[in-house]
Amino acid sequence: MLQQAVGSTGQDIERIVDTYGNMLFRICLLILCNENDAEDVVQDTFINYLTKSPTFHDSEHEKAWLITVATNRCKNMRRFNLMRRHIDICDLQLYSKDVESYGLLDHLMKLPNKYKIVLLLNYVEGYKVDEIATLLNITSSAVKKRLQRGRVIIRESYRKENS
Amino acid sequence: MDFDKMKDAVKSIEMPETIKSRVKKNSNLLEKEKSVPFSPKKWISVACAIAVLLLIIIGFPLPDRNGNIASNFTITAYASSVDGNQLYKNLSEEKAIFELATEQRMGLITSVADGENNLIFTDVILKVTGEQIESITYTLSEGKFIEDVIFTAKERADKEWLLSEKIYMMSREPGSDVYQGIKEVGNTYTVNYNEQEKHKYTLAIPHDGNYVIDEDIVIQVIVKYTGGNMEQQNILVTQESDSISLTLK
Repeated sequence: MLQQAVGSTGQDIERIVDTYGNMLFRICLLILCNENDAEDVVQDTFINYLTKSPTFHDSEHEKAWLITVATNRCKNMRRFNLMRRHIDICDLQLYSKDVESYGLLDHLMKLPNKYKIVLLLNYVEGYKVDEIATLLNITSSAVKKRLQRGRVIIRESYRKENS
Repeated sequence: MDFDKMKDAVKSIEMPETIKSRVKKNSNLLEKEKSVPFSPKKWISVACAIAVLLLIIIGFPLPDRNGNIASNFTITAYASSVDGNQLYKNLSEEKAIFELATEQRMGLITSVADGENNLIFTDVILKVTGEQIESITYTLSEGKFIEDVIFTAKERADKEWLLSEKIYMMSREPGSDVYQGIKEVGNTYTVNYNEQEKHKYTLAIPHDGNYVIDEDIVIQVIVKYTGGNMEQQNILVTQESDSISLTLK
């Protein structure tokens, strides 16, 4: 059983930021399309982790907890900040070194959040439909429909751009 | 389009070192500020005892002999059946199925829309029965509650009134001065228990453009008792071919 020590040490902070920092940042950045907001949510998520000192069964449980907290905070932030600036494709160079990825990332960022989140969790983090349903507290059929619809929207977006 | 490339594309994003350092620094600062470490385990037994007391005081529903949570109120869904009769079904964990009655409004209404979504208009209405209930609040996770309304030609001419009441004109009987329309109630409403019959609010559910419900919808039903206590049940709305089913979640 993976248990966070009561009164976390500096090593705990180093470990969770090094292990999960990139993953949480990229999820938050793609959902919020804003670096400052993404940083705030990642910071809040780690502070939540440190203050609540949750107990985990294993590292997967720990990762799932962090994703759930971060995505919920992203949703809340979106609710209260409706007018967000979409990251310009040029700005992606700040975060991604892979030039070929810019186009795909841009299409992904323009997706409505409910589709974006399930696509990220499925294709990027490798979660299965049932696991995503548990993480997001929605039904499995809703996850399947969001995956299906998200794929269709991205395909159409690609087709329009290339036609 | 190769979706497998999405993984590589997203994983190419890295948190800038400056942000990573800032996050670590802020987290360390927080740790130093925590002079007295808080141990949740110490408080678990106290919290449990308080919770049990509160549950007894507010009359939280306890499991029956079969282990099911017995609620103090019943939710009934009803709609017009194909033969025009009212079909009543008390909601439970078994599916209550209603045929979609969309023909009357399909194609006629474009004004009422849930953000970017199109809506399927159903005839399903909800009602709660129970003891000492003061009010009921329904909240839809997606979609809207709407009400069929009729209004006169004079009222129809008052565009500001129609707008303020969120009434959208649908049709007029030939040779009649009476117009039919839809009033947009919103995704939530509260009704007094004794006034439920006055409000015939039906469910309008978003669809994907092909009259397929985009995803499962949850209706949160919160009942407020005269003593001030509250109780909640959730209804899951799913699509079954050309019908929708309602089950308690």
